[in-house]
Amino acid sequence: MKTNYDIKLGVSLYSYQDNYYFHRYDIEGCIAAAAGAGAEGIEVFSDAMIPEWPYVSDAWIDKWNAWMYRYDVNPVCLDHFSDRQMWHDKELTDDEMFERGVMYIKLAKRLGCPAIRVLHEEHTSEHAMNCRLTDYGIIERLLPIAAENEIMLSLEVHTQDGVGADYQQKYIELAEKTGMPYVGLQADFSTFSYCMSTADIVNAVASTGAEKEILMAAREEQRKAYFGGYEMDREAVAAEIEKMHPSDATRIALARILPNIKMPEGYVSPWARMGGGGRARRPKPSFEKLYSDLEQWASKLVYVHGKFYDIDENGQVDDMDYPRIFKALVDGGYKGYISSEFEGNRRMNMAGWCDEIEYVRKHQKLMRTLLGRE
Amino acid sequence: MYDKHILSDAGARSVWENGKKYGYQFNLTINYYRGLPLCCVDQITMIIDGEQVPYEQMYVQHRGREYAYLDILKSDFPTDFYWLFGEYLTVVVKNGKGIEQGIHHCKLTLGTRRSYTPTMVSVCEKDVTFA
Repeated sequence: MKTNYDIKLGVSLYSYQDNYYFHRYDIEGCIAAAAGAGAEGIEVFSDAMIPEWPYVSDAWIDKWNAWMYRYDVNPVCLDHFSDRQMWHDKELTDDEMFERGVMYIKLAKRLGCPAIRVLHEEHTSEHAMNCRLTDYGIIERLLPIAAENEIMLSLEVHTQDGVGADYQQKYIELAEKTGMPYVGLQADFSTFSYCMSTADIVNAVASTGAEKEILMAAREEQRKAYFGGYEMDREAVAAEIEKMHPSDATRIALARILPNIKMPEGYVSPWARMGGGGRARRPKPSFEKLYSDLEQWASKLVYVHGKFYDIDENGQVDDMDYPRIFKALVDGGYKGYISSEFEGNRRMNMAGWCDEIEYVRKHQKLMRTLLGRE
Repeated sequence: MYDKHILSDAGARSVWENGKKYGYQFNLTINYYRGLPLCCVDQITMIIDGEQVPYEQMYVQHRGREYAYLDILKSDFPTDFYWLFGEYLTVVVKNGKGIEQGIHHCKLTLGTRRSYTPTMVSVCEKDVTFA
């Protein structure tokens, strides 16, 4: 249903991935589910739900346009991926990465999407990976193509440092310097997670046999710290956890939030094996700074992912302070879409069926409530 | 991701020609939240009743075409043959004799390379009925 609000609500069809993977809903079913939840915008992964990708026929585009009309929704964003490591012993060159970027821009144009979500180099942190993603040099080359096609390069900031981080600003400067306002930053609420989500705990318990009580105790310490307005004493909490004699699986599940907890002998995290691990290189900025950065940059943001992993019995997102996040966006003058991006499915589906449709429905309702529309 | 589901119960059977079994097949789904080009497959290792299926007997069928498994691992294999999200990838094992009809204990290891997360290796161990 289309509206005239400055802040519009959408759904990334990624939210329905299990329904798609297990053939319960096809792409039209997913679009119908999003429209039924009250959304007016649709974000799509060509790599997941456009069966003809990368060579999409006009006939398929016609079907897409018909669905947009039938369900009274707008295409909002197409997701770009930076698959540089195509072979085990060879990577794509920068020229080839550029060409792939052009493929996504051209498909977005045909789909009527005004933006592509770009998986840029600083997507997860400043030095995340041992291979380069779509970096500044490639984005500099993509920008004129994006401008010509009137497609926004929406750089999703999936980092703990948020949209105010110094290392993201060069892209804003690039748009200003070239006079081509077709590159900008996209916020993702994962930046604002203040504790382990219950979805992560369900996953760790179901897939590795980690101990739920110990993980819940650590989560409770994180929550107390966030709502108490102080920084959690990681060493003291790790010492308390040690007294509970955690299993190896529990230790691994706690590694991210308690880096000083003793790891099982010989354990190397998948990120460290990859040569990355950049996520932990800087201390996480304070939440006060993150909210204030979000408000300060809100009017310049080009898109927002309403990330969530679980919703509690009160209809609230269980690990993020949605009221604070929404206040920052509204006060800062954000204009554009916020799309539900449910990522609890891939955590909780190890424990059984995860009802994505119900999660998205509740999330859209929560967002409407926070915006004073319900 | 999807570790428990990457080896399908559907479609596992011997394959026949001229009234004789010449091999068998089983279906995989991807261990990721989107599709990937076939060149991003890092590893398909299948152990059936304790014995590893020889890689050189394995063929991958995808959208009406067939590739030797060892060929999809080669550098410069095309980047635009997408194994779609949720779509079956059929592995045909040409062992010259098929597989005995009935339940077999299978252990599948599937590795796929991604762009911005570590290569993920998923293991699925289960009993599968081959027709």
